[in-house]
Amino acid sequence: MRWRRCTVALIPLVAGLVASLLFTQIAALPNPIIYVHIDAGTVASLVGLALSILAGIGLVPWEWARWRGAQREAGIRARAAEERLRFLQRLDHELKNPLTAMRAGLANLANGLGPEAQGQALASVEAQVVRLSQLTADLRKLAELETRSLERVPVDIAELLQEAVALAQEQPGAASRQLTLVLPQAPWPVPDILGDWDLLFLAIYNLLDNAQKFTRPGDTVEVRASEDGTHVVVEVADTGPGIPEEEVPRVWEELYRGQGARGVPGSGLGLALARAIAERHGGRMALRSRVGQGTVVTMRLPPGDIAHRR
Amino acid sequence: MTSTKILLVDDEQAITANLSPFLERAGFVVTVAADGKEAVRQVGDSGPDLIIMDILMPRLDGREALRRLRQAGDWTPVILLTQVGESTERAMALEEGADDYLNKPFDPHELVARIRAVLRRSRPGQPSLAAARRLACGDLMLDRQSRRVYRGHAELRLTPKAIALLEYLMTHADELLTRERLLDTVWGWDYPTGTRTVDTRIAELRRVLEDDPAQPRYIETVPGLGYRFVGDVEGVP
Repeated sequence: MRWRRCTVALIPLVAGLVASLLFTQIAALPNPIIYVHIDAGTVASLVGLALSILAGIGLVPWEWARWRGAQREAGIRARAAEERLRFLQRLDHELKNPLTAMRAGLANLANGLGPEAQGQALASVEAQVVRLSQLTADLRKLAELETRSLERVPVDIAELLQEAVALAQEQPGAASRQLTLVLPQAPWPVPDILGDWDLLFLAIYNLLDNAQKFTRPGDTVEVRASEDGTHVVVEVADTGPGIPEEEVPRVWEELYRGQGARGVPGSGLGLALARAIAERHGGRMALRSRVGQGTVVTMRLPPGDIAHRR
Repeated sequence: MTSTKILLVDDEQAITANLSPFLERAGFVVTVAADGKEAVRQVGDSGPDLIIMDILMPRLDGREALRRLRQAGDWTPVILLTQVGESTERAMALEEGADDYLNKPFDPHELVARIRAVLRRSRPGQPSLAAARRLACGDLMLDRQSRRVYRGHAELRLTPKAIALLEYLMTHADELLTRERLLDTVWGWDYPTGTRTVDTRIAELRRVLEDDPAQPRYIETVPGLGYRFVGDVEGVP
């Protein structure tokens, strides 16, 4: 297809050559300025050649850009397909375990158990049902975030962070971590954001919850907010075990659980949700980590006046 | 006393097969329909006291079936079972005059509690508050279609979520509403904050409505449980 279009560039040259054949019968043109005799056929051929070269030069970068674009698109499609496959595999895995436990529990119940064992089997099946319900609830949140209408009201980020930290401090294990909140006062406090309080709270609480879940007793979790001229920046940093470099790009994928997350309760949807919420507010998320040193998750959100103009 | 007749409408046989005996054990007489068309026909034939209806169904979905019933002047109380979980779906359910709605998957005990609450509220043959276009309590007026709230002639400034919360409180006046239930029905999500998320909006409502929690005209706190709308609510066409 592409090469067929390139032949278009040759049309002026072919037209020039055809014209030169027609002109062979005509005598040389008189040239009043420079005394060079040139026949009309040659003139036509040269003009055609020049035009062809120009057209060719014009087409090359255009074709090149098209080719690069197609390559990029194919890359994105391949990555999306790969991500989708990984998501399905993870979903399969997440469903398999509770279902296996439930089948075993039901088989035990069908065999007839003593009252105590029966109570245990029922409780275990119910626990798995609750776990599956939680999973579908989280998946639904993620799907709904795409279409849900957002409230756009001024949100005091400092106040929101204070509440999120207070809630995190009530969680089990919080007492053994050093949880601090740093809010600037000078030269000015963090500006408001226009957005959905509930969703922003959910996003930030998820980050805090992760920081607490993946750190060890004695570790430090720091929550910081600042403003860099274009964005409000919220950071949740910890001195936890960190995330291996190869896992970092994948932490945003739905249901992804890294090596270090095995055995820690959770669905693997927290960061995906936080990112979706940040993006719906016109913001971005980033994560940096060093194994053995810790992790910092950054959420950048446009301040109220900018968000308002969007 | 005759038993309460319930029409259970869901195309998923696994659900009707398990819910029917559960509801029967709770003391109801249950009939089952597999889609909206069959439901509309059965309502005409047997006149149930309450309908529990799924939304996504073949032939005629729950929303359309509800609309047809209401257009025909049938005010049998309806509890919709939402599935897609879209917040718009919940708003629609209210707009079309569903008396309550429950997100799948739900605890069957919760369904029974809702059935009893809806039956307590309902006045046979009369449209319920859930079908009213506007809700009034003294000089407080909530226009459900335009999503505006007035106090006398002055419009009150409330966030959309606070309006949705007030709407649910008013349509369920005099009923104890736990924070969990408010989260599930008004927000449609569970939040880690749970109680705080609801409390923040209740505080907003009280501030704007100038309602004193110690001597509430509108919203009463039920300690340790949740909230209750204590004003007398009337539906205004």
